[in-house]
Order: sequence, then C-alpha cells, then structure tokens
Amino acid sequence: MIELLANVEQTALSVWVRESPSLLAFPFILFLHTLGLAMLAGLNVGIDAWLLGRRKLPPFDLPNLYRVMWLGFGINALSGVVLLAAYPAKALTNWVFFAKLLFITIALWVLQQLKGELAVAGGTAERDVSGRALRLALASLLLWTATIFAGRLLAYTHHILLVSEGL
Amino acid sequence: MERWPLMDLFIDWIYTTRLSWFVNSFPWVWPTLESLHFCALTVLAGTVGLFDLRVLGLVKGITPSALHTTVRWGVIAFIVSAITGVMFISGASEQYFYNDAFRLKVMFLALMGANAALFYWREFARIQALGPRDEAPSSAKFIAAASLVFLVGVMLCGRMLTFFRPPFFH
Repeated sequence: MIELLANVEQTALSVWVRESPSLLAFPFILFLHTLGLAMLAGLNVGIDAWLLGRRKLPPFDLPNLYRVMWLGFGINALSGVVLLAAYPAKALTNWVFFAKLLFITIALWVLQQLKGELAVAGGTAERDVSGRALRLALASLLLWTATIFAGRLLAYTHHILLVSEGL
Repeated sequence: MERWPLMDLFIDWIYTTRLSWFVNSFPWVWPTLESLHFCALTVLAGTVGLFDLRVLGLVKGITPSALHTTVRWGVIAFIVSAITGVMFISGASEQYFYNDAFRLKVMFLALMGANAALFYWREFARIQALGPRDEAPSSAKFIAAASLVFLVGVMLCGRMLTFFRPPFFH
C-alpha cells in the first residue's frame, strides 16, 4: 500500500501539481475545488434555505439548476482527484478524508431525493411543502456543513504528508 | 515587498489585542474559523447565486421576490464571513496587509457591495414585480452577472492568499 502511494507521488501529474511554481498548478486547482463547492453545495444550501422558509411550493424549472450543481460536482470530482494525486498518503491515511467522502455521498443522495420532492411541485399549482422535503433540506444543511468541516480539518489532522520522502 | 512603518505600528497594536491573543493561543481556533468562513462563503454563494440565476433567467417558474427571501441567509453568512475574516487578520496581520491577493479580494468585496447597492437602488422594485415566468430587464441581468463574477473573484483571491504571503511572514 505504502509503495503504491509512493509510486503515485512520483507520477508526472503528482510532481507537477505539488512542485510547479505556476499558479495554474496547485493554487488554481484548489480554487477550482472551491468554485465547485460553491456551485454544488452552495446552490444546494440555497435551495434548502429557501425551502425551510416556505409553507407552499410553487412550480419551478429544476433541470437548469440541477445542471449547474452537477457541473459543480464534476469540477469538484476532477479537481479532487488531482489534489489527491498530489498528496495521496496525506488523504488516504486519514480517516477524516473517508468521513468527508461519506458525507458527500449521503449529501448527493439527499440532493436527488430532494429533486423528487421538488419535482412533485412541477405541476401548475402551488402545493404544501411536505414534512419529508423539510427533513431532507435540514439533513442537507447538516451534511454540507460536516463536509466543509471535514475538508478543512484534513489540513490539520493528517499524520503523513508524503510517503516517498521517507523511503 | 517593502514594509511600511505606519502599517507595522498598526500591526504591532493588533497583536496586543485580546482578540489576537485568543486566535493565536488555542490550536483549535484557526481551523474552526476556517471551517466557519468556508460554510459562510458557501451559504453566501448559494443564496445570492440562486437569486442571481433567477434574474439571469436560468431558474424560471418562480418569482424573483419568492427567491429573494434567501438573501437574508446570505446577509447573515456575510456577517459571519466578516467576523471570521477580522479574526484571521487579528491573528496573522502581516499575512493579509502585505498581500496583493488580499488587496484584490477587498477590492472585489467592495465591488460586490457597490453592485448590490446599485441593484437595490435601480432594479429591485422592478424585479419584485416580476411574475414566475417573466424575463428580468437586461440592466438587472447585467448586475446579476456582475454579482456572480465578483463573487468568483472573491473566492479566487481568497484561495490565492496563501500563495502571495510576504516573504517575511512565518
């Protein structure tokens, strides 16, 4: 396992992301990760906040909004994989990283469930906000908060930064 | 980067405050502040962004006035961002005052504020009167697009802060 991580650290992509002085390397990829967070978690939280303040749901067009959020997820997934390639041992030897992945997975499931609840309101008339929709919105808020805390704490809780340095 | 004597006097004073002491005395404070700052940024981007997307015509079927209720959350998030931001500055002033990325971030924040003021002054009344499928006027769309651009600018500069630290900061 350690050898595999060391090999990943020595790939051209990993070395470039970690060591290139270019702002397009690590700094820009980190920015993309934040941009993706704002598009996916941000808009999801925006929907949650809106939903929690309402009793009635008007019919509205969801597909475009979900497209933006899934684009955010795509940016996050790609930038996340590149960041992981740069410091694989730092993340993969830290349980906080796996907690973050678990929170994201559940948050995405909740997002899809919420789509089902909101799509019900896609008719022509206003409907009551269901109790399930409110519970999903609240769960979503908690899950994204947990994801962000886990993401930030990664920088402070890792035990190994690079395994190849010690081999 | 050249140091400014007056700026250094100000920084020295900041380091004597209780707030600076608090931020630097406990190892859990900085990571907690960072997490809260990111949560606030997410809420701000999501609530203001959602409203901007409606004004731009991406989310139809709902009146802008119904979506505008989320902006309240955005305002609270901005206050949390500002408080945590001030705490960061109190803990590591040199990192911010001698940093081009921080200066640009403040500029984008000022532009965001001016853009929001322009929106409420010129467009808000017209936007509030729009129906669920009505298009916003072009001038309002321009302001909404600018709001998103400035928000991305704030995020970009915020992320670049670490990479533009002055050489004398440890």
